[in-house]
Amino acid sequence: MSFVSDTHSFDSFEDALEGQYELGVTDGLPVVPPTPERVAAMLAAGGVAGETVLGEVPTRDVVVTAEKVAINAVMAGCLPEYFPVVLAAVRAFLQPLANAHSTTATLAGAAHAVIVNGPIRHDIGVHGGQACFGPGFRPNATIGRALRLVIRNVCRTVPGVLDRASFSWPLRYSFCFAEDEEATAWTPLHVKLGYEREQSVVTIQSIMRLFQVTEFAPESEEILTTAYEVARHMGLQRDEWAGDGRSVVLVIGPEHYRRLVADGWTKESIADWMYPRLVADTAGKFDQKVTLASPDNIWIVTAGGPGIAQSWWFIPHLATPTHELILR
Amino acid sequence: MTIVTLDPTTGFGSGEEFPLALRPETLKGQVLGVVANGLGDSEAMFDAIASALTDADGLAGVCKVVKHSVAVPPQPEQWAELLAHATVAVTGFGGCGSCSTRSMRDALDLEAAGIPAVCVVHSALEPAVRAMARLVGAEEYPVIVIDYPHNPTAVWTKEESAMLAAQVLDAVRLRLTR
Repeated sequence: MSFVSDTHSFDSFEDALEGQYELGVTDGLPVVPPTPERVAAMLAAGGVAGETVLGEVPTRDVVVTAEKVAINAVMAGCLPEYFPVVLAAVRAFLQPLANAHSTTATLAGAAHAVIVNGPIRHDIGVHGGQACFGPGFRPNATIGRALRLVIRNVCRTVPGVLDRASFSWPLRYSFCFAEDEEATAWTPLHVKLGYEREQSVVTIQSIMRLFQVTEFAPESEEILTTAYEVARHMGLQRDEWAGDGRSVVLVIGPEHYRRLVADGWTKESIADWMYPRLVADTAGKFDQKVTLASPDNIWIVTAGGPGIAQSWWFIPHLATPTHELILR
Repeated sequence: MTIVTLDPTTGFGSGEEFPLALRPETLKGQVLGVVANGLGDSEAMFDAIASALTDADGLAGVCKVVKHSVAVPPQPEQWAELLAHATVAVTGFGGCGSCSTRSMRDALDLEAAGIPAVCVVHSALEPAVRAMARLVGAEEYPVIVIDYPHNPTAVWTKEESAMLAAQVLDAVRLRLTR
């Protein structure tokens, strides 16, 4: 297999590891040296030619090819069987409404969540249960990291250059998890988006703010009340360009969804109940309108482990969530 | 044992010199395009710049567009309006990471379309717009810089906006003419 990328030669594995730092292409953590053999295996697993164009960042004159994505996926530590998920994640990230330039150059340091649905979760082990937002799960850690390395190395988002984040965020190392679809009888996210249950799908949500919803009360309405009050803490202003598709994601944890399910709530009824409360007029500095076009802009996902009564909001940057079918 | 690795980056810069649009001798009779990104209170500064140049330099008109989001290109109809009417242009305000770089790109795109332009940015974002200029081979492209104590994200009073307009007026005139 031939490649168009420049090559670098090193005298040993250790030199190759250190050499990636000298090239300025890591996120600060060590990377797997992207040898031609490893990159070729990645492309083969994705069933894609290196020259395949996955998308563009027009403001930066960046065209993203499968070869560059495969190199960065190797560096991130992905196994080849993860690569179809990485390809779909990058395609989703590069959809125009994901606003790749804005969400990665911003002072606010927005991150991106990679949410995986469908059978591939089990095939490669993308975790959606206990501790799924954190370290310890190779698919989660490396798929999310692969997207971030693509953002850095291919899309030119280097701190101090086009990454202008004032603080940046730990989520910018990696953030990928699966919906725990089997936890409830609720409709999985990808099915709500129009896919078949047996299809596998990646959803990308930019995250301007990540809010924890902790509510120990056993009453469903008390849980949902706390949830919308937390979301209204800083509100969400309309962005004309992102338009009516701009959405929030609510990840509901087990201690909350088991009570909600027991009381007969569904994703649809939760969104319908919450929508008028979220979009009510601003009533104070910490009680602000969350501007959404309809209840359909509240995307609900089930994930996490038992114990603490917790759910999470992903409040977007200037983008709409995007999704892509995972091709295998 | 030699280990060969593939480079994960895309190149930086086209390697070609970026051609600037031909400047008019003066602003008299020119139509000033204003590509405002709506950041904070910066639109008031651009309005004051346009008003002052109309009065003092004899602009024939002003063609202002306010983009639909701070860090996106002008909408196609806005771009068409600019190309149809503007003969010189000012963009900004470059006071956040994504909006400064996009405003710089707006200025460079206008130059490429034959319309002399200048981007107004905050000093905090000058490295970012330099990187954007470097992308298209225009590393030395001049910008107009507003410095502290003025807030980068354009949270300004009306008086501050007017004062900043007066402060940058000569630089705008200089950048848009020969």
